[in-house]
Amino acid sequence: MQYKRKIIASLLIGSGIISAPLVASANDSTELEELRALVQELDQKVRVLARQNEVNAEDAAAAKATTPIVNASQNGFGLKSADGQHEIKLRGAIQTDARFFPGGDGVASGNTNAGKVTAADTALLKQFRPILQGTLWGKYDFLLTPDFGNSKVVVQDAYVDAKFNPWFQVKAGKQKTPFGIERLQGDADGKFTERALPNDLVPNRDIGVQFHGQVADSRLEYALGYFNGVIDGGSSDSYTNVDTDNNRDKDFVARVFATPFKNDPGFLQGLGFGFGATYGDQRGSAVTSTTAATASQSNLPGFKSGLGQQTFFTYRTTAVATTVAAGGLAGNGSTYADGQRYRWSPQFNYYNGPFGLLGEYVRVSQDVSRQTATGVTRSDKLNNDSWQIVASWLLTGEDASYTNPNPKQPFDLDKGTGWGAWELVARYSELSVDDKAFNPFGAATNPTLKAQAQARSYADPRSAARKASAWATGINWYLNRNLKIALDYERTSFDGGWTDTAGTAYLDRPTENAVTTRLQIGF
Amino acid sequence: MKNLYKTLSVVVAALALAAPLQSSAADINLLNVSYDPTRELYQDYNAAFAKYWKAKSGDNVTVKASHGGSGKQGRAVIDGLEADVVTLALAYDIDAIYDRAKLIPKDWQKRLPNNSSPYTSTIVFLVRKGNPKHIKDWDDVVKPGVSVITPNPKTSGGARWNYLAAWAYSLKQTNNDEAKAKEFVAKLYKNVPVLDSGARGATTTFVERGIGDVLLAWENEAFLALKETPGKFEIVVPTLSVLAEPPVTIVDKVVDKHKTRAVATAYLEYLYSEEGQEIAAKNFYRPTLESVAKKYEPQFPKVNLVKIDDPAFGGWAKAQKTHFADGGVFDQIYAK
Repeated sequence: MQYKRKIIASLLIGSGIISAPLVASANDSTELEELRALVQELDQKVRVLARQNEVNAEDAAAAKATTPIVNASQNGFGLKSADGQHEIKLRGAIQTDARFFPGGDGVASGNTNAGKVTAADTALLKQFRPILQGTLWGKYDFLLTPDFGNSKVVVQDAYVDAKFNPWFQVKAGKQKTPFGIERLQGDADGKFTERALPNDLVPNRDIGVQFHGQVADSRLEYALGYFNGVIDGGSSDSYTNVDTDNNRDKDFVARVFATPFKNDPGFLQGLGFGFGATYGDQRGSAVTSTTAATASQSNLPGFKSGLGQQTFFTYRTTAVATTVAAGGLAGNGSTYADGQRYRWSPQFNYYNGPFGLLGEYVRVSQDVSRQTATGVTRSDKLNNDSWQIVASWLLTGEDASYTNPNPKQPFDLDKGTGWGAWELVARYSELSVDDKAFNPFGAATNPTLKAQAQARSYADPRSAARKASAWATGINWYLNRNLKIALDYERTSFDGGWTDTAGTAYLDRPTENAVTTRLQIGF
Repeated sequence: MKNLYKTLSVVVAALALAAPLQSSAADINLLNVSYDPTRELYQDYNAAFAKYWKAKSGDNVTVKASHGGSGKQGRAVIDGLEADVVTLALAYDIDAIYDRAKLIPKDWQKRLPNNSSPYTSTIVFLVRKGNPKHIKDWDDVVKPGVSVITPNPKTSGGARWNYLAAWAYSLKQTNNDEAKAKEFVAKLYKNVPVLDSGARGATTTFVERGIGDVLLAWENEAFLALKETPGKFEIVVPTLSVLAEPPVTIVDKVVDKHKTRAVATAYLEYLYSEEGQEIAAKNFYRPTLESVAKKYEPQFPKVNLVKIDDPAFGGWAKAQKTHFADGGVFDQIYAK
C-alpha cells in the first residue's frame, strides 16, 4: 500500500499537480509585493501632486502680493501695483460731429443781408483725446489730456492733484477753473453737443493752483484757486503765447457746492447748489488802427451761439474810420479790458430718478476802456449776464446724474438684445450784454452826429447783438457705457447786431437754426 | 515733629524720583526678518531677550518675527519690508540688501563676531526609520529610485547650502572635475519631486506629507523632526558637508527711522551671550561661544565641513553668480 502511494505520489509530482499550490503560493507572494510596491509608488505620486498643488498655491499667493494688476475694460486700460498705491491708466475720448444750418440759417460773418457769409454745414473732428492719468503713492493723481481735435494740438489738461486727505487737496497745473457748473461737467457728459450761452462768460481751462476738498461727510465741496486768468469763455491756450499769461494780473477763484441731502433718501436727495466767483484785475491794450486787436491784446471776449458756434458779439476790435462823415474821430481805438473783472454764479443741479435739471446764472462785471479820440478815453464797468436751465429725462429708466448714464441693457446688435439708454433733453438760455456797451446809442436825429455819438460805444450795435435767446431740444442714445449718439436742434434769436447796406439801420441779427449730431466714444 | 517732617520729606523725594522712572518705561517693537527654520529658536530667544532687556533698561520689547526662504526674505526687505534686524541663512542675501537698497553699510559683516554669525549649522540627511533605501552618503542620494526632498535654491538659503554640499562632495570624489559635479547635481535634482520655497516647507513635505525617501536638511531641522516625531526618522551624517554660517545684522536705515538702533543692536549682541548661545544650542544650532560649544559638543555629530570660502566655491558672490543666478548651473540642470 505504501509503495502504491509512493508511485502515485511520484506520478502526481512528476505531472506537476502536487507542486502547483507551492508555486501558486510563491506567485501570490510576489504579486502581493509588486502590488504593495505599486500602491506605495502611486501613493507617493498622489502625495507629490497634492503637495505640488499646495506649493503652487503658496507661490501664487506670494506672487499676488507683488504682481501688478493689468486691467483692460470698458473703463480703459491700465496697470496697477499689487498694493494699489501706484496706477497708470490710458483712456480716450473721440467726438465726431456734424453741424447743419437748415435753410442756410447761420451767419459766419457780416452784418447785412447783402454782405453776410452763410455758415457752412460741416462735419468735424471735435475731440480726439488720448488721456493718460494715474496715481502715485496712493495720493498723487496726475492727468494729461492732449487734444488733436479740429486739426490742432492743444494740451487741455496737465496737472497733479495731491490728495493729502479728503478735506485738503492741492491741484496744480492746467485745469478747469472751478467756477461754472456746466463747464465743470465732463466734456463727454454734457447733455448737448455744445454748452449753452452761459459758457461764453465762464472761464474754461487755466493754469494755476487750487486748494480743494470735501467736508461735512462729503456734503460740501470747496475750491480756492489762484490762476493766470483767462477771458470769458476762453482757455489759456487761446492766447497768442499759448498757455502763458499775457500780463502780470492774476485771478482769484472760489467755489462752494453743497449736496446737503445726499445721504438722506428722499425727494431732495439729488439736490445740489452752489456759488462760484472769480476776481481779478485784468488789463489789455488797444489798437488805434484798423488791424483787429487779438483777444491777447484786448483781454476781452467775443460771444458765440450755442450749437451753431457762430460769433454774434464782439467789442470794437479796431479803430473806427476817422472821417467825421463816417462817424469817426481821429485817434480813436479798440475797446480793451482795463481793470477789475468780477464774475459770480449761483448754480444748481437736481436729479431724481430718470429726471435731471441743471441751472446756472452768470454775471461778469468788467472794467473796460476805449480811446475815443486823441487824448480822450472813456471807461465804464460793464455787466454782462447769462443764464440757462437744462432738463433731461431718461426714457429707459436709468437714473439721471451729472455724468453719463450707464445703460441698464446695453445695445448689442449681435445678440439683438438691449435698447441702450435713451434720453430726451431740452434747454433754454439767454445772454445779455450790458446796454452801456452800446451807448451812446446815437439818439440825435442828425445822421452825422448820430454816427459820431454811436462811434464812441464799446461795441457796435449794428454788428454786435446785445442779446441772444436760445431754446434747444435733443435726444441722446447711449448704446453702452462708452458709445453715445446725439441729435440736437437749437433756435437762437438775437436783439440787435444787424444793419442795412447803408449801415444806418439798427436791425436784429437773423435767427439761427442749428442741427448737430455727434458720435462719441469714451473710455 | 522734626523727625516726622524729615521722614515725610524722604518719602516724598523718593516717590518724586521713582515716578518719572516708572512712567518712562517705553514699549518698543522690533521686526526680525529671518529664514525659514528659525521659528522655534527665535520664539525662545525673543522671550529671553525681552526679559533681559526689561531687567536692564526697564523697557518692554516685543519682537515680531517673519520667516521664509532666505532669498525671498532678503528681497522683501529690499522691496520695503521694514525689518529692524535680519537673521538670514547666508551672507549673500544680506549683501544684496546693501547692493540693491543701501539699507546697511558695505562692511556690515565686520560689526559682530565670527563674521556676524552667532551660530553655525550644517547639512545632514533625514531618512525614514530603518533607512529603507540604505542611504549612507551623497552617492546614495543620486541613485535612481531615491526620492529626495530639498527646497528651491532660487528662494531658499538652506537649499543653496544643500546644493553646495553636494557639489563639494562630487568635486572631492572626482578630483575637482566640474563637469562631473554638474552631472552629479543634475542627477540629484532629477530625484526631487517637489521644490518647496523654503527649508521649513521641505520639512513639512517630508515629515508631514510623507513624501520622499530622504530630506536634505539643516541639522537643526533634522534634530527638531526627531524631537517632535520620535521613532519615525533617523539622521544620517554624510562624509562631507558644508559649514553653514547664518549671519545677522541690524538694518541701519530702518532702525534709525524707527529709533530702535540701541535695542536692535543689543538684540543681536545678546545672541552671543551665554544665554543666547545656550538657547541656540538647545534648538540644535552649533554655538560659537567656546564654553557653550564644549558643553553641547556631544549633541552634534562630527562632520568634515567645507567653508564657503573654500576654492570649490570661492566665496558667496562667486558661488551665487556661478550656480544660482539666472542662467547659472542650477538653471542649466533643472528643467521645470
